[in-house]
Amino acid sequence: MGNGQSLPGEGGGQQQGKKGDQKQKKKWVPPTPPERVGKKKKKRGTVSGAAGGKLPPIAPATKCKLRALKLERVKDWLLMEEEFVARQEAEKATPRDERDEEERSKLDDLRGMPLSVGTLEEIIDDNHGIVSSAMGPEYYVNILSFVDKTQLEPGCAVLLHHKHSAVVGVLADDADPMVSVMKVDKAPQESYADVGGLEDQIMEIKEAVELPLTHPELYEDIGIKPPKGVILYGEPGTGKTLLAKAVANSTSASFLRVVGSELIQKYLGDGPKLVRELFRVADDMSPSIVFLDEIDAVGTKRYDSQSGGEKEIQRTMLELLNQLDGFDDRGDVKVIMATNRIESLDPALLRPGRIDRKIEFPLPDAKTKRHIFGIHTSRMNLSEDVQLEEFVMAKDDLSGADIKALCTEAGLLALRERRMQITHQDFKTAKDKVLYKKKENVPDGMFL
Amino acid sequence: MGEKKKDVVVPSSTTDGKDKSKDDDEKKSTKTTGKDAKPEIELSEEDLQLKTNLELLVQRVMDSKAGVAKLALESMRTEIKTATSSMTSVPKPLKFLRPHLQTFKDQYPTIKDATNKKLLADVISVLSMTDSPGENVIPESLKYKMLGSGEEVGFWGHEYVRNLASEIGIEYHRRADLEEGEEGVTAKDKEVDDLMKLVKDIVPFHMSHNAEPEAVDLLIEVEKLEYLIDHVTENNYSRTCLYLISCSSYLPEPEDGIVLSTAHKIFMKVNKLCDAMRVALKIGVQSTIEETFLASKDPLEKKQLCYILARHGHPLKLDEGPCEQEGDDAEELTLIMSNSKLCENYLTLARDLDVMEAKLPEDIYKTHLIEGRAPSGPAVDSARANLAATFVNAFVNAGFGHDKLLTAQSAEGTTGEGGSSSNVSWIFKNKDHGKMSAAASLGSVLLWDVEGGLPQVDTFLYSEEPLVVAGGLLAVGLINTNVRNDCDPAYGLLYESVNKDNSSVRIGAIMGLGLAYAGCQKEEVAELLTPIVTDESTPMDVCAFAALSLGLVYCGTCHEESVQSIVQALMLRPEKDLEDPFAHLMCLGLGLMFLQRQQEVEATLEVAKTFPERISEYCQVVLDVCAYACSGNVLKVQALLAKCGEHRTTEESTEEDSWKLDAQSVACLGIAIIAMGEDLGRDMAIRSYDHLIQYGDNSVKLAIPLGLAMLHTSDPKLEITDQLGRLSHDNSEEIAQSACLALGIVGAGTNNARLAHQLRQLTSYYYKEPSLLFLVRVSQGLVHLGKGLLTLSPTHSDRTLQSSVSLAGLMITCFAGLDMKHTILGKHHYMLYYLFAAAVPRMLMCVDEEGKALPIPVRVGQAVDVVGQAGRPKTITGFQTHTTPVLLASGDRAELESGKYIPITSNLENVVIMKKNPAWEEEDAKK
Repeated sequence: MGNGQSLPGEGGGQQQGKKGDQKQKKKWVPPTPPERVGKKKKKRGTVSGAAGGKLPPIAPATKCKLRALKLERVKDWLLMEEEFVARQEAEKATPRDERDEEERSKLDDLRGMPLSVGTLEEIIDDNHGIVSSAMGPEYYVNILSFVDKTQLEPGCAVLLHHKHSAVVGVLADDADPMVSVMKVDKAPQESYADVGGLEDQIMEIKEAVELPLTHPELYEDIGIKPPKGVILYGEPGTGKTLLAKAVANSTSASFLRVVGSELIQKYLGDGPKLVRELFRVADDMSPSIVFLDEIDAVGTKRYDSQSGGEKEIQRTMLELLNQLDGFDDRGDVKVIMATNRIESLDPALLRPGRIDRKIEFPLPDAKTKRHIFGIHTSRMNLSEDVQLEEFVMAKDDLSGADIKALCTEAGLLALRERRMQITHQDFKTAKDKVLYKKKENVPDGMFL
Repeated sequence: MGEKKKDVVVPSSTTDGKDKSKDDDEKKSTKTTGKDAKPEIELSEEDLQLKTNLELLVQRVMDSKAGVAKLALESMRTEIKTATSSMTSVPKPLKFLRPHLQTFKDQYPTIKDATNKKLLADVISVLSMTDSPGENVIPESLKYKMLGSGEEVGFWGHEYVRNLASEIGIEYHRRADLEEGEEGVTAKDKEVDDLMKLVKDIVPFHMSHNAEPEAVDLLIEVEKLEYLIDHVTENNYSRTCLYLISCSSYLPEPEDGIVLSTAHKIFMKVNKLCDAMRVALKIGVQSTIEETFLASKDPLEKKQLCYILARHGHPLKLDEGPCEQEGDDAEELTLIMSNSKLCENYLTLARDLDVMEAKLPEDIYKTHLIEGRAPSGPAVDSARANLAATFVNAFVNAGFGHDKLLTAQSAEGTTGEGGSSSNVSWIFKNKDHGKMSAAASLGSVLLWDVEGGLPQVDTFLYSEEPLVVAGGLLAVGLINTNVRNDCDPAYGLLYESVNKDNSSVRIGAIMGLGLAYAGCQKEEVAELLTPIVTDESTPMDVCAFAALSLGLVYCGTCHEESVQSIVQALMLRPEKDLEDPFAHLMCLGLGLMFLQRQQEVEATLEVAKTFPERISEYCQVVLDVCAYACSGNVLKVQALLAKCGEHRTTEESTEEDSWKLDAQSVACLGIAIIAMGEDLGRDMAIRSYDHLIQYGDNSVKLAIPLGLAMLHTSDPKLEITDQLGRLSHDNSEEIAQSACLALGIVGAGTNNARLAHQLRQLTSYYYKEPSLLFLVRVSQGLVHLGKGLLTLSPTHSDRTLQSSVSLAGLMITCFAGLDMKHTILGKHHYMLYYLFAAAVPRMLMCVDEEGKALPIPVRVGQAVDVVGQAGRPKTITGFQTHTTPVLLASGDRAELESGKYIPITSNLENVVIMKKNPAWEEEDAKK
């Protein structure tokens, strides 16, 4: 160390840590800043860093010997790791616990009590940032060295020391509570068996949504990318939502359900944010299926609008477009949409790549009608004279929901007369009622 | 409806069966219309009809009349075969027939008619697909298939074939496991001819249906890979071989060898000799390599083979022996094989990229970019700083033939009275041993330029300063690294100095010899050096360098004489000599001879156990590590990991015992060396290192940065540089030192801006630590190695092959890094020059038939692993188009943009010879 002279007038962030160095030979300065990519980094899953990071990807997804061998090799390595770690832990079991405890209490001392919660506005350098709290002013504060810098990113909630407001911890950013509500925790009761007919539709939706999550290798085998999403469209009451429920019932993937109107929020920017959150949560919980019901609430064609509300809705849709097929790969997230009015949807929303399959739900044909009648009447107490075939063969535009209503109505009629059996006459009356109700809005002959 | 149909299908039905089925039908129909809820799912009308139909057929099959049964069987087969359904469900006929499987099986033995019996067997075989195979019996599907009519395997579709193949695998192993002599087991049970017959049917089916991986899987299972060769065609050889080669890295011995040799035979069959040569090099058997070389009749292809061999550092003798060549070509082939054109090509590349201008160390340091304290100003330790500048200059201007410290002055000087006097000026700015490195650095500047370089170095050899002479000798070696000249000047210049009195001169000459003849197996070198190794009176350092040189010259050959000499030296040397840190390098020298030889090391390993305690364990670990380098052998890794996990420092242990820790350091480094062969192992080794950082002692941690450097040589991945960045700030000076050097090796020749920035920060961080600063400087130089045109990575040819010479050079440097105090930071800093054994241009250069550089547009992008993927997937991603010659970063791959030229080899790396495509038409010409 030939150079004894200290350079005067140096200060600032970089040098602060080094003040004491001149005295001792060994100096310590905090290591170079870890990357601050926040969530992006978490997603990518670096191999190094915390042990237990993601494992390397195994190349051929098809079932073959090579894959088996590679997996076997990874397993061998993991077993070795386990053996090594177990032995090391066994060797210094007790001292480690003690040390941990000691360190932990020291950490608590440093943190102090109580803590206040603030928002990290900006990161200036490795150990300084600007925070704001609910109180009002923004502060330029220290970020203590034990804070996990990889989790810090502008906008996240941080713990602040009560006196000098230094950042002493990061609050795990929870997803928007709105989104967590959307998760379907309890599987719906309806299963595929409850869907009358619609065999083609079931097959298509299975191919597009379920199989890519359970058997990705099938698609790889043939050399195609599985569809990303489907849209279900058709007359009201033809079973779109029912089918989605059946999918939710049968899948083991996490199922998120949103109604289009939920995406419309009071404040500017909240809608798009919700969409982003929704897909982020879906990605975190992947494999997952997102079901967007009544998508026409946000997905209508764009047009020049003066109303701020309209514009906001359109922006929400634009965010949706981006999430569906944007720059970032969504991975194992499948989207199901449902609407009555596919013709009014924005063409950008429906283009292949965003929505690869459009599944039409037609009004039931005679066979399906029979099936639906079968489903709904199977638990009803019918009298001998009931001729369901008459209703099946009738030329009325009966949807699945109409049939259900018809059966219910017939049952109610029987109840009214305190009969234990439903007669054919009940059905006939019920049918008239239901059809009348259905046509109520548009009286016959009005536009003639 | 059901009724009617029935009659149509089987008009001549017997009453008995008909009634029964009628009943069935009736029951069904009541069920479907019944109001009370039933557990089973109701069937649609068509399904119901199908079901009844099939049930009827089942009845018919049982019929005693052969004709009836046959008809039923036939229609059942059509029913099954024509069933299409989405992939979401089991085909309906199968679903309905499954309950009857047992009936069929029971019925089977009672059927008399031979054809029917066979047909039924086929059906049972298909249906059994749905059954899980039992323990210790032949799987049902397979059993009935063999009893069946022996029709084409593909008759029932892919799913069936796949299932059959897996059952054959199971059955084969079951039979193989049968112990002869056990009760009821005869030799006959072990026979597998019947299975093989089926295998012979299945393999062509797979091969002709784009399912090469499955064919290979099956044949690996039944250990009959030779069948594959017959079915490989022009269209599927590449996919098949790619799969085979990928598998080989994960298969245990000896299967991997069989797989590789199959791949080799396939390449030979389709006459893709360049690929065959790569596989042959991977196998590493001399006779196979020669055979491959001799198989080539096309002179262009021969040249390409020579390029490949030259890159791998495995030259063949063309003037004598089995590969003798005649005619005009011979000379040119020798030229290529001996890398003589390396310098010329490299300079072409440099001119093309416009980086000819020499750079000063200051251009690399870029002190003006450093915020805060710069290590400039009054030099901390001017000798160290100058030494660092020497190395930086040597690395940055490597191979360009001129620089601004040594040669520039001499150019000016020559106008006066000859280069030597002014040349010396920079050299004499270095103190003592620094002069040796300074003089040697001229060798690296003139790297590969044998004809132009040697005269410039010549003056040093007549200097009065022994250290300058030593440096000059080393420079001679450096100039000849990986390049061979028919005049063989290196040996002529060096051999006399090997036995001089001054040990520095001797080391210079010995090291020079080692570098100049690395991988050449030159007998004269062995004759010259073995006496030095065995002579007990030679100083330990000279002896160690002699051992290293022997190791380099005979790396991976198990050369008996040299092995004997080093073993003898290690056994006979007095204990005190073995305490010398250079004893470790002797062990490395021994180890290098067994590089990648795997089991052949066993005998020597046994001998190593009898060495004095001081060296025995160390030597064993080194031998193991070297022998299994790049093999990915998990068992070896496990042993090494266990060794790393021991905590040998106790409170009582003193300084004296510290040597016991050295073996641990090597073990830790060894994990990387063994795992560096394939990507999976690489990633997993990095994970293991994470644990070692957490739990290991300092002696283990010390090797981690170097291990990471071995795993990612010239491949600065973000996570690696991050990790090294953390380690370079470690509290322990030794760890920080090795991390600093490792940063250089990881970024070697990449010009990586991020890494350069990181290193600049380190220089200001360590501005008062001369030794760390020196290492950071060296790393800065390494990052700009050859101004970014060189790589140190030993892997090439799509990351399948490891050149053993490069590997050896890297390993020597890393071992030196384990003991910095005595080597790089001591008097032997010139050991850094061993890195040049690994340096090669990271280029793709296309040359025409005459060997002139061709500018051809190529796409360069990140390589994608396409093994076992369907169709013709893209092999690169995120590509950019350049015109050759281009630089290829680690993990990059290139492909030709247009079909105007046809490359001789499929693998576009290094130098590739291009042929004009006769079928090519210019776009304009078409119009």
